[in-house]
Amino acid sequence: MAHALALVEKAYRGALEKQFFDSLYLATELHRQLGGLDILLRGRAVTYGIEAPPVPALRMGGRTLDTLSDPRRDLRALIEAGVGVWAERDALAAHGLHEAALAPDETAPAMDGDKPPAGVPVRLLDGVRTVADGEMAARWPEYRMVFYL
Amino acid sequence: MARKIPHSDVLVTLMGAPHESDRTTSALRLVQALLERGNSVAVWTCGYATLLTQRSLGTEKPRNLADWNTAYPSTTGLVQDLLDTFPERLRWYGCRFCSDDRGADDHLPAVVLRPPAGYAANVAAADRTLMVGVI
Repeated sequence: MAHALALVEKAYRGALEKQFFDSLYLATELHRQLGGLDILLRGRAVTYGIEAPPVPALRMGGRTLDTLSDPRRDLRALIEAGVGVWAERDALAAHGLHEAALAPDETAPAMDGDKPPAGVPVRLLDGVRTVADGEMAARWPEYRMVFYL
Repeated sequence: MARKIPHSDVLVTLMGAPHESDRTTSALRLVQALLERGNSVAVWTCGYATLLTQRSLGTEKPRNLADWNTAYPSTTGLVQDLLDTFPERLRWYGCRFCSDDRGADDHLPAVVLRPPAGYAANVAAADRTLMVGVI
C-alpha cells in the first residue's frame, strides 16, 4: 500500500517551458522518498492515461525541439516503478472516452468535433485503472498524505 | 525623444504567465510559423512572461537526473535561437515595470525593455495585435 496519494487534475502545463521537469517528474521523486505513491488522474489530466502517438517535435528558431513534455511516457515509467495510477470515469466520459471505447483492441465510435476520429484506437495505458468519482476519496484515511500535484 | 518602434506585421503580447498551461508553447509556435512565412513579428512580454528571457536561466535547463545526457533548452535559449534565426524580422520587447516588479530585469541583450506607457506605440507600429492570456 502506497503511503501517499497525489491528485493530478491540471494538465498540459508548459510543454515547452517545463519539458521533462513537470508534475510527473516530481512524482517520481515523491514515490522514492515517501515510501510509495498512488496517482489519481482527474479533470483534463485523465487524458494522460490514454494511449496516444509520441509527442511530435517542434521547429523553434533554427532547431528541432524534440524534448517537449510527454506525460504518457512519464506515466509508463511511473507505473513501471510501482506507482498505482487511477483515472476517474466521469472525467473520461467528459472527454468522450467512455468505458466501451476504453477496452483494449476496440476502436472509438464515430465522433465529430474535437473528439478522436472514428477508427483510431482509444485505450488506457497498460496499468491505468478506472475508478468512480469519490471512490478514491473514501480511501483517503488509508494514506498518510493526500495532496495535489 | 521617444523610441521609434519599427513596423511589424504582427505584435504578440504575452500577458499570461508561463508554466500554467500550454499557452506559451502555442504562442511561440505561432511566432515561429509567422516568421517562417516571411512575416515580421514583435513580441511584448508582460507579467511573469518577462521571465522567459532571463539570462539567469542560462541557455539550457538543469540536468535531467533520469536522462543525464540529453540537453533541454531553456526558454531564454529558445528565444535567443529565434532571434538569431530571424534577426531582421523578430523583435522582442519586455515590460520594464513587470520585470522590475518581479526582480526579473536581467534579460537577453536583444530584449528591449519598454515602459508600460509605451505600449501604445508598439501597438501602433503593428498591423495586427494579438493579446495572449491574462496578466
